[in-house]
Amino acid sequence: MSSAGVDAILFQEPTSPPSLTADDAFGRSFVRQHERIGATSVTPEAVKGPRRTPRRSLIVVLPENHVVSPDVVSSRLAAEGDNELVDVILACAGQPHGLGALQRRVRDLQVLLAPAGTSKEDLREFAMSQAPGDIVTLLSGIPATG
Amino acid sequence: MSQTLPLSVIVSIRDSRATLGEVLVAIRASDLPGDSYEIIVVDDASSDGSVAIAARNADTVVKLSGRGSGPAYARNRGVELARGEVVAFVDDDVLVRPDTLSRMLGVLAQRSDIDAISASRDQNSGASNFISQYWNCLLRFGEQRYAGRCAQFAPGCGAVRRRAFLSAGMYDEWRFATACLEDVELGERLLGGGRGALLSDELKVTHLKRWNLGLVCQEVWGRGRLLARSLGYSRMRALAPSEVIFTLSRALTPAIALLGTLMLAAAFVPPPRPRAEAGLILLVLLLTNLPVNHFYARARGFGFAVVSAPIHILVQTVAAAALCTGWILRYVFGDVSPDATTQAYSEVGLEVWPPVPRRPR
Repeated sequence: MSSAGVDAILFQEPTSPPSLTADDAFGRSFVRQHERIGATSVTPEAVKGPRRTPRRSLIVVLPENHVVSPDVVSSRLAAEGDNELVDVILACAGQPHGLGALQRRVRDLQVLLAPAGTSKEDLREFAMSQAPGDIVTLLSGIPATG
Repeated sequence: MSQTLPLSVIVSIRDSRATLGEVLVAIRASDLPGDSYEIIVVDDASSDGSVAIAARNADTVVKLSGRGSGPAYARNRGVELARGEVVAFVDDDVLVRPDTLSRMLGVLAQRSDIDAISASRDQNSGASNFISQYWNCLLRFGEQRYAGRCAQFAPGCGAVRRRAFLSAGMYDEWRFATACLEDVELGERLLGGGRGALLSDELKVTHLKRWNLGLVCQEVWGRGRLLARSLGYSRMRALAPSEVIFTLSRALTPAIALLGTLMLAAAFVPPPRPRAEAGLILLVLLLTNLPVNHFYARARGFGFAVVSAPIHILVQTVAAAALCTGWILRYVFGDVSPDATTQAYSEVGLEVWPPVPRRPR
């Protein structure tokens, strides 16, 4: 994929993700979208050096034709403690369902898009490489019905 | 803390890429309902990308930075996040069977007199090379001989009630910074608090680690030294009889001690027949090792037992040297403790992540 192509994809509407070709190299074919609603998210560079508390990340994994309820994500965030300080990463294969609803519930959502058919395990592995947290919780979606 | 679960499985890892995938898949293949347990992987500062492998099957991954603080420290960090009423510790080179974890939960549910249960290793444990087979056979000998209530906890796979684990003071992350004897020490504290710890001969797991002679000697050296320096060998030998480097029965011990004293005295007298004396020592060693050699012969055949005999004597020699070293270190320098910086941080009560190792209560 050309760099111009990636730029074009990054500026697309988040609810209409790109269709990526399956022959792209796996790592390169992921597209990251930062959705910032309100405050700017904390970058990894901003927290270098000693910290008093661990940084937390929540990875939501959505293989093809899987969905996750925003309520489930919210409750997991609540379980993590102060959800303002949790980095949330959504890793999905193919067309994600209900992305808009999730974005409304989660303050800063980082979206990783993978080609359709990418396995759950590969999504988890790649999302982990992007997660800045010291404690990373992984949450899988459930198969979409209908 | 969110809702509780029946079980949290904690896997502490350090550069475990070779075996971790298989280990986590085996845990996921357990016959427990998927929503009844969680897998927490604590990465003790790996440099081989183990975290990526962990992400494929874990529910939570804890990434510790720094130089690595040992499995005791890592497991404690896992327990702090665990939601399970029972926590199971599985080593990064141990394959559980589909029913291992559910049966552990079943035993803990049925027996209120015990708070911890460990699985023993199966006969397929270890790589196919001779030394791996020798080492696993030796440990299996101890587990089978002393299966039942004892102090040893989780040599590879064990489960404990979370409440009991916390009230026992968790793993001693202050003194046990390496993967050595931390389970034995925890088991001793569980028993000391009047709680039972069961080593089950019916529950089996497969250990995958490949051993060579150097690794075995290194392990024996570390165990022997720490056993004498931190735990006190004679005390632990009584509490954890599955320590099998020295396979003497208790009845034989005074006789061997007397014989050893006579031999030591004889060392200062010019031997009239050095060969006869060496032969006598060898005969005594072979006789005292008869139980373990008999076990080898039954498990692997007579040839295996014959080849194992000199290796076992070498291992015992290393263990004896390690015990002596540990005793000397104990009386000269005292018990094991972390480096000065860690002690200073602990004294000040510095709050950082990852946390400074905690002193035992």
